[in-house]
Amino acid sequence: MHFIALMFLCTFLSRTFADIDYESDILPLFEDYCYDCHGPDKQKSGFRTDRRAHLLKGGDSGLAALIPGDPSGSYLMEVITSDDPEISMPPKGGKLFEDEIELLKEWVKQGAVWPGQMDDKIEEVTDHWAFQAITRPEIPAKAKNPIDSFLNKRLEDLGIPKNKQAEPLALIRRASVVLTGLPPQPVRVNDFLADYQKNPDHAFASLVDELLSSPHFGERWAQHWLDVIRWAETNGSESNLYRKLAWVYRDYVIRAFNQDLPYDDFIRQQLAGDGMGVGEALGFLVAGPHVPAATVGQEPAAIRQARADRMDEIMQTVGASMLGVTMSCARCHNHKFDPISIQDYYSMTAVFQDIEFGSRFPEFSKNHPRKTKANKIWHEVAKNRNKIRNKASAWEEDWGGYKEVHWKPLEVVGLKLNFSSGYVGLDEVEIFGLPSEDFNLASATNGTQVRTDLAFAQQGDRFPVSRVIDGKYGTQRWQASYNKEKKQKPWIEFTFEKPVTVGRLRLSSNREYYYETDYLEQKNKFNFDEFLVNVKLSDGTWLEVASIEKIRNLMKREKSLSEAVGEINHFAYKLSEEGPRPSFVGSFIEPIVTQVLHRGSPENPRDVVLPGAPKILSGVLGVDNDASGRARRAKFAEWMVDEKNPLTARVMANRIWQHVFGAGLVVTGGDFGRAGAPPSHPDLLDWIAAEFSTPSRPDGTPWSMKELIRLFVLSDAFKRTNLPSEIGLQKDATSSLLWRFPPRRVEAEVIRDGILLASGKLNREMGGRSYRIHNVKKTYAQWEVTNNFGSETFRRMIYQERMRRVDDQIFTAFDFPDCGQVRAKRPVSTTPLQALNLMNSPFVVTQSKYLADRAMNDSEKGDLHAAIRRCFELLLSRQPDKQEFTAALKVSSMQGLEIVCRALINSNEFAYIP
Amino acid sequence: MSYQEENISPIGRSLLSRRSFMKQSGFSLGALGLAQLLSSDGLLGASDPQSFTGKSPIRPSIDSDNPYATRDAHFESPAKQVLVIYCPGAVSHVDTFDYKPDLAKYHGQKPPGLPAVTFEGPTGNIAKPFWDFKPRGQSGKMVSDLVPNLGAMSDDFCFLHALNTQTSAHPQGENFLNTGFTMEGFPSFGSWVTYALGSENENLPAFVAINDPRGLARSGKNNFGSAFLPAAFQGTDFSAKQPPANLKRPASYSKQDDKTTIGLLQKLNGKHLEKYPGDANLAARIASYELAGKMQTSIPEVMDLSNEPQSIKKLYGLESGSELKKEYAKNCVLARRLIEKGVRVVQLFNGSDSSGGNGISNWDSHSNIHKTHAMQAEIMDQPTAALIKDLKSRGLLESTLIVWCTEFGRMPFLQGNGTGRDHNPDAFTCFLAGAGVKKGHSYGESDNFGFKSVEGKSSIYDFNATILHLMGLDHERLSFYHNGLERRLTNVHGHVIKEVLS
Repeated sequence: MHFIALMFLCTFLSRTFADIDYESDILPLFEDYCYDCHGPDKQKSGFRTDRRAHLLKGGDSGLAALIPGDPSGSYLMEVITSDDPEISMPPKGGKLFEDEIELLKEWVKQGAVWPGQMDDKIEEVTDHWAFQAITRPEIPAKAKNPIDSFLNKRLEDLGIPKNKQAEPLALIRRASVVLTGLPPQPVRVNDFLADYQKNPDHAFASLVDELLSSPHFGERWAQHWLDVIRWAETNGSESNLYRKLAWVYRDYVIRAFNQDLPYDDFIRQQLAGDGMGVGEALGFLVAGPHVPAATVGQEPAAIRQARADRMDEIMQTVGASMLGVTMSCARCHNHKFDPISIQDYYSMTAVFQDIEFGSRFPEFSKNHPRKTKANKIWHEVAKNRNKIRNKASAWEEDWGGYKEVHWKPLEVVGLKLNFSSGYVGLDEVEIFGLPSEDFNLASATNGTQVRTDLAFAQQGDRFPVSRVIDGKYGTQRWQASYNKEKKQKPWIEFTFEKPVTVGRLRLSSNREYYYETDYLEQKNKFNFDEFLVNVKLSDGTWLEVASIEKIRNLMKREKSLSEAVGEINHFAYKLSEEGPRPSFVGSFIEPIVTQVLHRGSPENPRDVVLPGAPKILSGVLGVDNDASGRARRAKFAEWMVDEKNPLTARVMANRIWQHVFGAGLVVTGGDFGRAGAPPSHPDLLDWIAAEFSTPSRPDGTPWSMKELIRLFVLSDAFKRTNLPSEIGLQKDATSSLLWRFPPRRVEAEVIRDGILLASGKLNREMGGRSYRIHNVKKTYAQWEVTNNFGSETFRRMIYQERMRRVDDQIFTAFDFPDCGQVRAKRPVSTTPLQALNLMNSPFVVTQSKYLADRAMNDSEKGDLHAAIRRCFELLLSRQPDKQEFTAALKVSSMQGLEIVCRALINSNEFAYIP
Repeated sequence: MSYQEENISPIGRSLLSRRSFMKQSGFSLGALGLAQLLSSDGLLGASDPQSFTGKSPIRPSIDSDNPYATRDAHFESPAKQVLVIYCPGAVSHVDTFDYKPDLAKYHGQKPPGLPAVTFEGPTGNIAKPFWDFKPRGQSGKMVSDLVPNLGAMSDDFCFLHALNTQTSAHPQGENFLNTGFTMEGFPSFGSWVTYALGSENENLPAFVAINDPRGLARSGKNNFGSAFLPAAFQGTDFSAKQPPANLKRPASYSKQDDKTTIGLLQKLNGKHLEKYPGDANLAARIASYELAGKMQTSIPEVMDLSNEPQSIKKLYGLESGSELKKEYAKNCVLARRLIEKGVRVVQLFNGSDSSGGNGISNWDSHSNIHKTHAMQAEIMDQPTAALIKDLKSRGLLESTLIVWCTEFGRMPFLQGNGTGRDHNPDAFTCFLAGAGVKKGHSYGESDNFGFKSVEGKSSIYDFNATILHLMGLDHERLSFYHNGLERRLTNVHGHVIKEVLS
């Protein structure tokens, strides 16, 4: 061994590195070892070694193969010296000889001199259509609606005859379903038919305006957005825990659509709404599933991996919804199809480094609806507290996740709690001064010290007392038990840095459970019962300011007091439903400096990157790693809506098109990259994108989604019949050129909501807590559907509680998403399970009965004929023809009207947009 | 809705064959190419798809009015059906099929070079197997007394001893094994196979998931869901005691009510269809009601075990042992009946999530492994062995692939100072049997402690690539366009483990 090493050494010495010549020394090495896979003919992993610029840039890994002057930073040197079979090069035939490696190293060190190519550089450019700037094309021909001009031109060029305008009955049903997700009511149908007789265009335009201003519009269109970002109310993963108050984000989206919040603001708010008074809009960023820290185990590598996975969920959400680009590909290497580098990916993660999956108090502006409601509730709380204050020196309130004790404020230097229970578990204790003050005097950050007797400690002080003032809620808490020898029950004592006024104290056992989740059997348990609050005055004497036992006795005696406390507890609950409360819309952490994770592995961090967007789209944001998370996100949002990023307008205009016409001009609505489909009408796509962001129409609002939808719906294309035609099918079987309105099955929601509307049972209450269909479960258990048909479920389906990956036993079969992956478009499948669910589920059975009852009630007493007609009109918006009527009458008289309803609910006509 | 064959309307009957329907419809439908149908659903991406490997993707031609039609495999292969027996919770390989004499030798000692912390915390001392190992069958394969019945069948099995996975956490591990990704939202193995091959039986679902009597496994519906594949390819879950939701006629309706509903529905749909001659989607929906009607008869039939002979009941252990075992044994009989009927994929679960009853719910054994693994094995061993034996004696193993699997293994040492074993992602054992698989063979080796894979190291990607290969499918080509990518079960990884192929 020694001998061989010496031989090498001799070889090294025999060379003088000073005269390394590229042509004679280095090129042969590349030719021998690399060219087969990374040369002029073949570029495996997107890498080639025949040009200096390519080495500088590197391959798909995104790492520079060559950094002149820095051999240890050059990936080339790493792969030729590595023993890791995954990266070691060359892959076959053994390593380079030591002297060859040394030669390369020295060459790199000396600046990688490569005659004639020293100034070569690779500028990333792309000719892919989606990344080019939007230029508003000329409108080709004259038509009332520019959209028709583009579409008609194409149809005329191809010789495809356009279908004629659909019957008014079809129009009102089509427009109603597309815009609000609800079929029209019979009264409205009759009015429309009458108006239409007089002036078809006017009648239709006013119908459309009416539908656009209906609150049901937002409920319909919010769901499209929620699909894309796979929003749900549970974590997914192991225990699939419920995300408390995550629905405030769902309500935000509905509100945004109903108020026609311009899309640029919609973007700004969802990326940086914490600085705009709509903190709940950040629910967008944490819409995807995540693995909670508690379930990834104790290995540090697994914990880092889980965080990287959570960041990737954020990347997927932002990429698929706003950019229409699959960012995740660039997590491990440069994107295979699109000009997105691994540096771009990690620069974008740097933008969101302050976001974590969790809860916080959303930042609300003064006039936020939840803030307004909360102010009223707080007023009531204060009123009741005043009532008590006059009669009692101290009292206790139950705020669900924590308890509060109030007493008359006084100046102290210390405070002690003596517990009466033998076992105490506390995650946090907070102490406040005057009732109006929210400054936590107990916090360790304010210099307060806490102590107890170690005699109470459990498992060798595994649960230290310092945790009650560390500002962290959850299972990391103080636990203490009765000490038999000392015959003492647990106590804790706080010593303040200087004299402070104290009047209120707040204790909890696991506030995280309360703040973050719900519907668990083990929730809201307090691991303490009665206790004494003693304070230490400046002269060193102790004074009892509250005794829970005495308070409770007093409450038993004084009914007015206990009533007032009861009121406060009630308002505490109300506040958690209606006011600003910790909601699962993301929590904030200190943003770290971001590094590129080589091959996507958190165990292999490389170059530091700055917060940014993809370089190809001028994504330099001008923020560095010292910037706050909010500043990073705000800058990113401005880039997102800037015209140098043409994707934003194209992607959303296309998405809106998709939901109006059934398919986008780009059918792969979540992918505008090279692997996606090209647009069917490139010029039309650019025109609608331009019209969206910078309207040419008079009084147009930039980025108005409602106005864009209106433009689409008022086109001739929208109004055509959906009937087949021979030439049409021959030349354009998918109807993507819109010679007809493409036939299309309605979504799960439209079926369910439509049935409820027809039966007269639809509860139109908007927003708030989702209606429940599942059980209250144990932490580690699956959600089970307990009741998906009772009267408390008679709301629109967007309010059905959305547990990731749980089958709701009716509508999941109708391609309702499992909310695991982003979903730009739902597949439409037809399965026998759908048939079984719609024939036999308790929901359909009970609704058929309600519908039959309603039809009978709505008709003259016992007039079965009228009731049958009523059923048709309620479900299908039309009267039965003679044959249908005869058949239905026969069934009703033999089997009952509800059987007719059951058949109608199952009919193809009910499931399809006319 | 339990209509018989003769009750099917003329229109429905003709719809069962799309081709004859197309002929009747009077339109020239030459242009109604499948590619166009698919692209209308956004199922196709770029017209010139690229894959990572340079191989062109194969997207099965799904006939939209009969998504379950039988489709050709990519190449000839003996396996036409697959039975996956999945044991959630992680079965200890060192206590079952992976014999490590060194564990007895080093029993009670600190393991040299092993980590201080694993999934649930600090590591303890090496622990010898909790059950004795004995040579089994002709091959003399060493299998422990925990699973004697399976052990007795070793000559039929092909063991993989050097499997490794990417995670030590159950839900991610389940996702990875059953969907090829640790993250949420990817199609299950069964849905991929159903998407590729369709069904061999018109009257039963193409893919049946038989959940454990105690409930769903931890990743729930992910294990048999279709994620972004069309819902037609999701597993239908039912078990010997629990029919699929909404299969039965509602109690408030009579047979006549059902018949009348269907009659009226056919009239309504028939009239509606007159306006849209040749519309395959409407026709498909009508046909789906016919199929649903057939399932209302065929599923209760296949679930009815009353006519199984006493010998079969004895073989599977339907009437002996714990209640859970009896129930699981019934599920095993159901699995055989489904395979007999030609169901493409049967996925049988032996364990649920950790909240099940009777003290244990699955194979997870962080403490008192001696008791909990024994309870779990009592449920699993006899019925599973009987199921495989029964399939063999009926000649069904000629065309059926058996996959016995678990998401990872367990540690050779104790967890802390306790009585259980923690998760081991770096070495564990699964076995294959039946069509296309070597018999009485073991492939791959873990180290002397069963701690890490050393020889023939195989990833879950390799494992899934291999079982797809055994089904006649090229894992690099079977793909579905979703959101910018040709998605595959094996992502961009995986190599077929040729050594296990017969």
